[in-house]
Amino acid sequence: MFFRMIFGTLVRQWKKMLMIAFTIALGSSLATAMLSVMLDVGDKVNQELKTYGANITVMPKESSVLSSLYEVEDGGTSGAYLREDELGKIKTIFWAFNIVDYAPFINAKVTLDDGSETSAVGTWFNHHMELPTGEMLDAGVTSMRSWWEVTDGKWLDEQITGSRNVAMVGTALAQRLGLKSGDTFHVAGAASDMQLEVIGIFDAGGEEDDRIFMPVDTAQTLGGLDGKIDSIEVSAITTPENELAIKAAKDPKSLTISQYETWYCTAYASSICYQIQEVITDSVAAPVRQVADSEGAILEKTELLMMLITILSLIGAALGICNLVTASVMERSAEMGLMKAIGAQNASVSGLVLTEILLTAAVGGSVGFFAGWGFAQIIGQTVFGSAITMRPVVIPIVAVLVLLVTLAGCIPAIRMLLRLRPAEVLHGK
Amino acid sequence: MKKRQMYFRMITASLIRRRSRMLVALLSIAIGATILSGLVTIYYDVPRQMGAQFRNYGANMIFTPSDGSFTQADIEDGRSYIESADIVGVTPYRYESVRIHELPVMAAGTDLTQAKLTSPYWSVEGEYPSGTGSLLLGASLSEQFRLFVGDTVTVSYTPEFDGRSEDETILDNTIDLTVAGVLETGGPEEDYVYLQLSDLEQLTGKSGEIDLAELSISANSDKLRSYAEKISSSVQALDARLVKRVTESETTVLTKLQALVLLVTVVVLALTMICVATTMTAVVTERRREIGLRKAIGASNGGIIKEFMGEGMLLGGLGGIIGSVLGFIFAQQVSVHVFSSSITFMPLIVPVTILVSVAVTGVSCLLPIRSATQIDPALVLKGE
Amino acid sequence: MSLLELKNIYKIYGDLHALDDVNLKVEKGEWLSIMGPSGSGKSTMMNIIGCMDKPSKGEVLLDGVDISKESSKNLTTIRRDKIGLIFQQFHLVGYLTAIENVMLAQYYHSVPDEKEALEALDRVGLADRAKHLPSQLSGGEQQRVCVARALINYPEIILADEPTGNLDDANEKIVVDLFHKLHNEGTTLIVVTHDPEVAEVAQRTVFLRNGKLHKETINENFTGEIKFDK
Repeated sequence: MFFRMIFGTLVRQWKKMLMIAFTIALGSSLATAMLSVMLDVGDKVNQELKTYGANITVMPKESSVLSSLYEVEDGGTSGAYLREDELGKIKTIFWAFNIVDYAPFINAKVTLDDGSETSAVGTWFNHHMELPTGEMLDAGVTSMRSWWEVTDGKWLDEQITGSRNVAMVGTALAQRLGLKSGDTFHVAGAASDMQLEVIGIFDAGGEEDDRIFMPVDTAQTLGGLDGKIDSIEVSAITTPENELAIKAAKDPKSLTISQYETWYCTAYASSICYQIQEVITDSVAAPVRQVADSEGAILEKTELLMMLITILSLIGAALGICNLVTASVMERSAEMGLMKAIGAQNASVSGLVLTEILLTAAVGGSVGFFAGWGFAQIIGQTVFGSAITMRPVVIPIVAVLVLLVTLAGCIPAIRMLLRLRPAEVLHGK
Repeated sequence: MKKRQMYFRMITASLIRRRSRMLVALLSIAIGATILSGLVTIYYDVPRQMGAQFRNYGANMIFTPSDGSFTQADIEDGRSYIESADIVGVTPYRYESVRIHELPVMAAGTDLTQAKLTSPYWSVEGEYPSGTGSLLLGASLSEQFRLFVGDTVTVSYTPEFDGRSEDETILDNTIDLTVAGVLETGGPEEDYVYLQLSDLEQLTGKSGEIDLAELSISANSDKLRSYAEKISSSVQALDARLVKRVTESETTVLTKLQALVLLVTVVVLALTMICVATTMTAVVTERRREIGLRKAIGASNGGIIKEFMGEGMLLGGLGGIIGSVLGFIFAQQVSVHVFSSSITFMPLIVPVTILVSVAVTGVSCLLPIRSATQIDPALVLKGE
Repeated sequence: MSLLELKNIYKIYGDLHALDDVNLKVEKGEWLSIMGPSGSGKSTMMNIIGCMDKPSKGEVLLDGVDISKESSKNLTTIRRDKIGLIFQQFHLVGYLTAIENVMLAQYYHSVPDEKEALEALDRVGLADRAKHLPSQLSGGEQQRVCVARALINYPEIILADEPTGNLDDANEKIVVDLFHKLHNEGTTLIVVTHDPEVAEVAQRTVFLRNGKLHKETINENFTGEIKFDK
């Protein structure tokens, strides 16, 4: 009979119940959308901040201490190199998933036909990798130098140019040499000389405007540096540093085992650096403070901002639901009074109301969850052009929230029902 | 007694004497209005606040000499073209090759107080040099020379041969400085030694010349571009350039962030408005019997709509006022907690919030009231 | 001419004849009771007389005007001007004071007049309760406010639907006494009730059964004096 009554309410009072379900659905969709966006905003903004370029640089051990110095002294390179064949290993570290992009750099001094010297930089443009995990990754400066403005021609595409000798030339140098895209020019390196075809001219707004960028093997051939790499720039999604990370960055050995594990398994810039050092022989990986710190600050602010907005909207949604549940239960006081008059106990009246509302809430909540998921995707697509990853944790949070809020909405109504004197209700007081 | 007086007496009586029910409705409208005014304030303030965060990336404009070098006066001249409220910091740099332990090192003479502003990402172990007589040593140099915080170092400089003292051996100028701090950046700065411009001038014996100035300006890229063009064309000695990597990226990220807040605001607002609407619907529906009674004792449909709308809109207005205040407080709290700075008060938001909440409440009352006026008073009054 | 005349009234819902060829005349100043068991058509009849419903067939002449074909908007105007309604459940607006409830009727009718409203309350003996909210009044007092509200616009007819249904004996007496007073002042009263004691005190009682006028009794002893006693 209990279920028959509930069924009766749900079916015959479907309009009222629909309204409650609708409000709960709204609230839960709001909660779902905001929570999903909030939990994912860090990653999304982090992706966006990748436009600032690498936040980790990897250098050979000796060079990190000496190279700049020797460059000042004799203008040459130091003689310490990283190994090109180890590059793939970067995508095998514990936090490989957080490494969104990276590119190796090799510098070769070249002499141009007019006698001037410049730097020929070998790097990846859109190097295609198939990882052991089956993932595909296009890494290189095309994405890591997103602020470059290609003023003439286009970005060098390694997949198209193949083994041709091609290059992108900085705008300052191109102006000096009178180069346009499609032209060829002659360069002489330490080991060999060749004709380079200009694919594009770029404006980087810095010293790179005086350089020639080309695929790694071209530069290696010019400089006679086969298999050698000067440095690697890595763009990784990192967690803002905290005290533990600072302590670890100074000396990982100073940590206790559990601290070490926490640190190693958190995507701090320092732990990623440490893991890169583990896989690249004789390397020193260091966070680029300008990028890493700023990222941390911006991320933290954005997350906090979203969290506060989320809290506000959750409060809004909660109050909205509470209100309506209270109002709609009170509306039925006559009916409840009647039930009490024909002998229903307080408990059974409350039970009936609760079950009805909770059933409605469950339906509304689930509908709202999917709607909210849709909202989150709309936000993700519109703002970041990519889907928002749903965290499973959103489901229990929303469920508990809807449950609590609905119950809270029922409390004043049920208290009122318990105080009801059937006679008064039935006499229309 | 005038009819209008009775009208107001009725609607205020309804608000005041049905206190708890109306409070509930008022609360929901106020929450809606709070969200509206709070989020809109944040939306407008985010670029400014976040922009300040982005200044952490350091200089976004540099002055380079159009010919040789320039002077502090030129910097001041260039600076005068930029709104002073936008300027975060201006740091002059002069680069000279000096020697430490007989090894050549690049030294940058600068204003270290300003450098802290234009390069906030510098991580210094020890202290920032506050006055003259101390320097900031790049981390790689520190390791190379085994020089640490507190050590004293002799920096020497070979003056250029000026042709006057032909037969004498040119003696090095030297200066003794204390290492106040070790600089870590993960970038090329770690290979430099930074000292106060006046110390470097004393060491080299030449003053007034500046090679480069870094500026950190909080403005969007269009504004920056116009500043740069104005300065380059107006100040002869200067060539103002944007640090593309910083400006371009800042615009990209900031635009997205603002779009995010906008979208979130819109979604939250839409849902809040629907919530307000359902609440008002419930409030009106609850009073069907009263509407029936009013009809029975002779109220016309228009009259009923007028009274209930008046009540709803009064409620909306009150909610709007409360919401504007709470919304500002909320935005202020967010600003203080997230950005540790105060929010700009935008007076326009107050009337807009009140208008919107009156309109939303009005519209959400209108529909249920209209349907309630269709009901047959006889049915309602029969005590169903 | 009669004040109110029902001519061959039918009210048909599907197969159900709620009113089936009813004819009734009510003279000005008359006190009429309508009695009948549940489902006899009392409420339908009251709704039609109260301009809240229209008959399916037949004419309703109020002051010589046929109101059976009027639009619901005009019906509202007619009801406002000519009918004073009293309900079993009082139906006072909960958040308005007694006097404001009375003024509400004035407000819809013409212009609210606090002095006049107070006089109306005085007539029902509630002048001292004018500032009380319905929740602070007893059932009988609420019903008297309701009577005052019905009176305030000097209607042609006061139509009361089970006015004593929710009242105890003492309050019932007060209300019936009030009706006597109104009658003596010349007000036309139509009281729908199923309480014989209330019905008996009227000048004339009509009995409804299955939608038809079943019988009619004239109160031979009616003197217009208050003698309802229990």
